[in-house]
Amino acid sequence: MASSSSDQTFDVASLVEDYSLYRISQYVLVILFIGFFLAPLETGIMTAFKTNRAVAETIPLMPPLAEGFTLDNMMFAFNALSGAFFNSLFMAIPATIGSVLFGSMAAYGLTMVDWRGQLGVLVLFLIGIFLPYQAVLVPLARFWNNIFPLASMVEPLFVALPILQGYHANLVPLMITHIAYGIPICTILFRSYYQGLPTSYVEAAKIDGASITKIYRRIILPISKPMFGVVFIYQFTQIYNEFLFAFTLITGSDTPEAVVTLILPAVGASTSGVDFGIRMSAAFLAALPTLIIYVAFAEQFAEGLKTDA
Amino acid sequence: MTKRFGDTTAVEDLSLDIPDSEFLVLVGPSGCGKSTTLRCIAGLESPTEGSIYIGGEHMNYRVPQNRDIAMVFQDYALYPHMTVRENIRFGLEEESGYTSEERDARVEEIADLLGISSMLDRNPGELSGGQQQRVALGRAIVRDPEVFLMDEPLSNLDAELRAEMRTELQQLQNRFDVTTVYVTHNQTEAMTMSDRIAVLNKGKLQQVGEPLELYHAPENRFVAGFIGEPSMNFVEGRHQNGTFTSEYFQYPFDTGIRDDVGDTSDVVLGVRPEDINLKRLPEGGSSGLADHEFRMTVSVVEPHGDRNVVHLRHPEDASESETIHALTAGTTVVDAGTDVVVSVDPDTVHIFDMATGEALHNRRLESEVEVRNV
Repeated sequence: MASSSSDQTFDVASLVEDYSLYRISQYVLVILFIGFFLAPLETGIMTAFKTNRAVAETIPLMPPLAEGFTLDNMMFAFNALSGAFFNSLFMAIPATIGSVLFGSMAAYGLTMVDWRGQLGVLVLFLIGIFLPYQAVLVPLARFWNNIFPLASMVEPLFVALPILQGYHANLVPLMITHIAYGIPICTILFRSYYQGLPTSYVEAAKIDGASITKIYRRIILPISKPMFGVVFIYQFTQIYNEFLFAFTLITGSDTPEAVVTLILPAVGASTSGVDFGIRMSAAFLAALPTLIIYVAFAEQFAEGLKTDA
Repeated sequence: MTKRFGDTTAVEDLSLDIPDSEFLVLVGPSGCGKSTTLRCIAGLESPTEGSIYIGGEHMNYRVPQNRDIAMVFQDYALYPHMTVRENIRFGLEEESGYTSEERDARVEEIADLLGISSMLDRNPGELSGGQQQRVALGRAIVRDPEVFLMDEPLSNLDAELRAEMRTELQQLQNRFDVTTVYVTHNQTEAMTMSDRIAVLNKGKLQQVGEPLELYHAPENRFVAGFIGEPSMNFVEGRHQNGTFTSEYFQYPFDTGIRDDVGDTSDVVLGVRPEDINLKRLPEGGSSGLADHEFRMTVSVVEPHGDRNVVHLRHPEDASESETIHALTAGTTVVDAGTDVVVSVDPDTVHIFDMATGEALHNRRLESEVEVRNV
């Protein structure tokens, strides 16, 4: 095939014209910021696979070389965290489902149904979001330990169930606490979504004879699927990564029911100092469930948007 | 009933009696309170004052679920996550006296009637506007309610589809014989579809009656100007000693008109475009004109094919402040700029009080142009 030579010459002149100093400096700035954010991440991954000697001797950003490479850190971290993984997921998944579901119901009741006193209740929810966790720690511990010892009440039930052990009952107060404190933000997130939905859906369903609960169950809940994906991802990340309530309600990192966030600070620490390789491995392993949830639900979220379009 | 939203009165003191099986159209410009009235009948709003009765039963404290009504919304409000079949079936689920199989059968029956059987397993998002409208209709019909409520269902359709659906809606209403309250801002839909029309303006009922009654005997200027397309011509002026004088015209009143108008001096003369007759200016200019004839110049002609709308102004009216428009047959050729003789038969004239808008005199129908019953 014939082609003229002019097609193959690179037009340097136009390239230079397109890029002004302003554009170049923009790109440089962006690259610097990306580097700033990615550097710790990269350092962590590299450190996770290095032996202690390699950690001490090489630059943190450098990948592990032949002798410096080891999987021992990962194995150790995995063993240390495996029990905690189960605890964290056992607590976080029901807590997320609970707070998202209740949040959606509350938002429906406040946005798509008309009744007197709505505004007052909404203000209460708003106050709930801004409540600092630190302020309620002591009353919370008092409540679950002295006033309403749910953990010890439920323990016999847990002993009888398969897979679960008696000590898992201690996670139930934490689960309920997270549901309660998660509802306000979930409500507000869903409320903004419901405000964007046409009220004619609810009106048409009313005229069709459906009760308020039936309208939620059959019309609003199915339509909110994209929002469920979003709020679920957000809530799971919040609950799974949460330290303060876990620290208050679960007595220590050495207990069998400790969650991942409690164990992480203790992993790799010994009298001779901190083993960074183990620490980094543990950190990345701990982040895996959140990543998996994100991937799983992001797909459902995107699909939900697709069918509605 | 009266409905207020805070300080605004949306509907004021409206009273209507709608007999069984009637197709009543609520018509009026935007913001006149027709949609609010419909929503009050549906139970989606509560009237501030007054009562609503359906089938003799007091409805004010009943939720929409229990009123045995069905509504077609302007945006159809089809549930997007359900198929057409499920959409139509949804309303039937709350109706007692059906088994599950009977419900399915009825959905198929209604879908067949509306010509949407092939779409039953599709989602509303996949359908065209016209098809979605039929599904919305199906959803209403399937429940066999006491009243159909329709809130501007044809506004989102293109002109051709709208005309087609108008006929179909009338056929459906005749077939099912269900009382229908239909809201629109389009007076053509009102005229062609209704048994009776109720015209509203700014929350108040202007007139209610049969279409031709409103057309030929409007009770006020608003109804006269709203019903009829192209709209009635209005000329404002003074009445003195049996003659009407406006800025450019003089029109003597005959005894019938004079009796009705009485002493009122500030009046508005109304005449429908089809009652204005045009003929060519004779050789002698404007000298040989009779009492009810005037010389005018054609400013703009709008050809519609079956008829022409001819806009006319007085030769001295350079700023076109007082133009009137006439209708001629489509085959009559009139050029812009031509001088013509315009004649208006006093039998076809309406007179309104300028201050109140009330009709003082409406046209006579006993001439040979009267309405004939076939």
